[in-house]
Amino acid sequence: MNFSYNWIRELVPGLETEPEELMRLITMKTAECEGLEQIEADAIIEVDNKSLTHRPDLWGHLGMAREVAAITGKKLRDPVKLDLLPKGQAPIGIEIEDFALCPRYSALVFENVTVQPSPAWLQDRLEAIGLNAINNIVDITNYVMAELAQPMHAFDAEKLHGSTIFVRSARTGEQIAALNEESYNLGPSNLVIADAQGPIALAGVIGGLHSAIGPHTKRIVLESANFQAASVRKTSVALKLRTDASMRFEKSQDPTNTVQGLARALELLEQVSPGIRVVGGVADSRGELKTPPPIELSVEWLKAKLGRALEAHEVRSILESLEFGVEEHAPGRFLVWVPSWRATKDISIKDDLLEEVGRMVGYESITPRAPLIESVVPPEDASRKYSRRVRNMAVAQGFNEVYNYSFVTEEMARAFHIDVAEHVGVANPIASGQTLLRASLLPAILKNIVDNSRHLHSFRLFEIGREIHARGGALPEEVPHFAAAMYAREGDGRESLFELKRLAECLMDGCEARLAAARPFEHPERAAIISWRGEDVGRLFELHPLLGVEGRAAILDLDLTTMEKLDVRERRYQPWSRFPISAFDISVAAGLRELAVDIERRLAAAAGSDLVEIEFLREYTGAPLPPDRKSVTFRLTVGASDRTLSSEEVAAIRERVIAATGKPPD
Amino acid sequence: MVEEQIQQLQSSALARIEEAKDLDALEQVRVDVLGRKGSLAQFSVGKLAPEERAKAGKALNAAKRALENAFETRRQAFAAEALDTRLKQEWLDLTRPAPGPRPGSLHPVTIVQNEIEDLFTSLGFAVLDGPEVETEYHNFDALNIPREHPARDMQDTFWLSNGHLLRTHTSPVQVRGMEKLGPPLRMIAPGRVFRNEEVDASHEHTFYQLEGMMVDRNVSVAHLIYFMKTLLSAIFHREAVVRLRPGYFPFVEPGFELDIRCLICDGVGCPVCKQSGWVELLPCGLVHPNVLRMSGIDPDEWGGFAFGLGLTRLAMMRYGIDDIRLFASGDLRFLRQF
Repeated sequence: MNFSYNWIRELVPGLETEPEELMRLITMKTAECEGLEQIEADAIIEVDNKSLTHRPDLWGHLGMAREVAAITGKKLRDPVKLDLLPKGQAPIGIEIEDFALCPRYSALVFENVTVQPSPAWLQDRLEAIGLNAINNIVDITNYVMAELAQPMHAFDAEKLHGSTIFVRSARTGEQIAALNEESYNLGPSNLVIADAQGPIALAGVIGGLHSAIGPHTKRIVLESANFQAASVRKTSVALKLRTDASMRFEKSQDPTNTVQGLARALELLEQVSPGIRVVGGVADSRGELKTPPPIELSVEWLKAKLGRALEAHEVRSILESLEFGVEEHAPGRFLVWVPSWRATKDISIKDDLLEEVGRMVGYESITPRAPLIESVVPPEDASRKYSRRVRNMAVAQGFNEVYNYSFVTEEMARAFHIDVAEHVGVANPIASGQTLLRASLLPAILKNIVDNSRHLHSFRLFEIGREIHARGGALPEEVPHFAAAMYAREGDGRESLFELKRLAECLMDGCEARLAAARPFEHPERAAIISWRGEDVGRLFELHPLLGVEGRAAILDLDLTTMEKLDVRERRYQPWSRFPISAFDISVAAGLRELAVDIERRLAAAAGSDLVEIEFLREYTGAPLPPDRKSVTFRLTVGASDRTLSSEEVAAIRERVIAATGKPPD
Repeated sequence: MVEEQIQQLQSSALARIEEAKDLDALEQVRVDVLGRKGSLAQFSVGKLAPEERAKAGKALNAAKRALENAFETRRQAFAAEALDTRLKQEWLDLTRPAPGPRPGSLHPVTIVQNEIEDLFTSLGFAVLDGPEVETEYHNFDALNIPREHPARDMQDTFWLSNGHLLRTHTSPVQVRGMEKLGPPLRMIAPGRVFRNEEVDASHEHTFYQLEGMMVDRNVSVAHLIYFMKTLLSAIFHREAVVRLRPGYFPFVEPGFELDIRCLICDGVGCPVCKQSGWVELLPCGLVHPNVLRMSGIDPDEWGGFAFGLGLTRLAMMRYGIDDIRLFASGDLRFLRQF
């Protein structure tokens, strides 16, 4: 919303504060000013619309002028002269179907209208605040709106059918051609203004094209109405049609303001359309306009909430400067009546008045103070702690953390063979990449790999993020996952897989990899399930070459919740054996696909209860072994906890182990 | 006569020791001279007269000691030389890079978030978590933003096929926190939030917030300012100067925008603060009584403050990042810098 400094000065006579300083004051006390534009003989203060969401009155200059008057201690000049309104029988009837949707509809009829360009002062003023000058009649409706925050509309009376204006819900199938030359299909959720034939305006949003003011218009119906905020908003959102009127009405305008708008328009129309005559009296239909009860307010409560000293007279003078009615019924205790333009939604409880007093005394006058509260140890968030540990471990092992979006495309999901039905869909995406919520971190990890492989020969990265799995209409299941990837442009890919396996072991001491049938996006011969303490926690695999990565990439994908659940460790000190141990190496010739873990188990079983440790040393293939054989070497450490093993005993163990090397796997 | 022979043997052996080219040659000399079948051992004194024998024995022993000494000296020289050679061969270029991975990096938002979590836990705040997919009730209604409220426009929302939405702020965790913990409570809730917006260098549809809330008896604006000042001074490692001005958020009353005195120019005016000397940093306020009531807390007995901190923005300020899109780019050229 743009405010003209000159306009405000007209309404606050004697205002001497410079625009720059005024802008600062408004920002500190009322609403955020975003900019100041100096134009010929005026200055335009631009106020952030978001900061006016709760203030219907600030959508007009009078409301802002009232703030300025209160801030600067000046008097406000109300431009409205209600006694200008004609008395007598109204020439048109008004029928409101539902006063909840239209609390009030007021109108005046004028004849002998001359439609012509507005005088320069009017055009300049509208254009200064960003409104287009159209013709004198339309310009006056916009002027009154910009001044009083009361949207108005002028119909060409000769184009209306019948002499009654209906405010009703649109019927299914009804249409309207609007002033913007668009046509809209309407239904019962849209409130319309209608004549005997059909809709002539979308209530509170836009006028109809057929009854618009034209160069030959002689007779007009000037509407000044009040519509329910929710209803206007619903229509405006549904039809994607935001107008100066709808923006104001959706902030809950003041129904007492309709006749003020008419009085002000009447005065101005006489200036810009010479010879114009008002016909009859004011047509005014309204429901019961309720005056809210006064609010109880005590100075003690205000002081406690602000954390600042405050005098009763300060409170009274602030509230009165903003035109609240104030009665001090006991020392320091007030009854406060809210003015109608603040009473629609903005102010209804004492907390709202706290803001009025607080902003006017100035928040900078409050000294920061530490509260007196119990010193407590906050409850622990174990999952967060665990995630941190995982992150730190991954970083220690050389991985860089990435954050990826929670969105995937159907194409990305399909590349990983995830059923689209498992995903939660986005109903209103604005970009093409946002149709589904991710049910796996892997599609984005693949993208990270492809993107980074353009610049780097090798890298390690990881993400902790949530998989989101659809559960019908219930909130989806959000499953935190840890996904790590290693990429190398050169090499046979082994190092990446074993580095990731090592990372898994760093995170889960003693976890195991179990060869698994590969999923379609996994290398068919390089896929394993990672299990820990008897439960499956995730997978380790190399990406299938057909996924289009130049080079090789391996991925470790783990379920964080399961990991955390299994991560229970009671640490107790264990004394070690005081007796010497001895070690020997054993090489086993085996088939190429015989698993190291199986050989290890066999040797360990053969070694028996005196085995302290068995350690994989190396694997060898190549000459002089035949191409389908390999040699695997282990180091076995043996010892007893209660004595020194004799060399004969050690030799016997060694014999047993050697005997076991020849045995085929069970 | 015998002594002469011994003398001769000794000098020829000494000469051989001296001439030995390497350890093997030296060893050969030792075997030849000092070995069990060596020339010294062969030297028989048995045939000599007893008085001669004693003399010869003495001379033999002296020769043996001299040779052994010479031999040992020579051997040590060889060993020293060999060690020297080995060590020389073991010259290592320690300027070469060490193998193995270097530590990776945490995401800049993680770093900032961890820091702030630690700060708040040290002040007795619990860290809470909430779902990224929220109900309309928790994201809006329970925060005093009913349907058709124009404040819903302040947050463009991603609506989902299941009727729910992607949370537009971390404020719903306030509601969940109040429902779960009840008063008094001190909590923060960091997390990922979503706005259905076009993306450019300063706008993202996905970013990170940290919501904070304290509910207790007699909570005042003075307390809110105290916590914010303490927090910001700790974050920026210097005394933060802050100011409050009115701001509208339906879940607080009164609501504030908190500005911090520009850290770049110290309030003098610069492009970062648009010459105003102040940078808008976080929205905050006293918790609206409707919000307390909806979460089952009696606003006549309890009050509170709440604030929302933009973690992404904070990370941008901290590290001088001028393009918000980098955070979700997954680009390691960016991420490795932290």
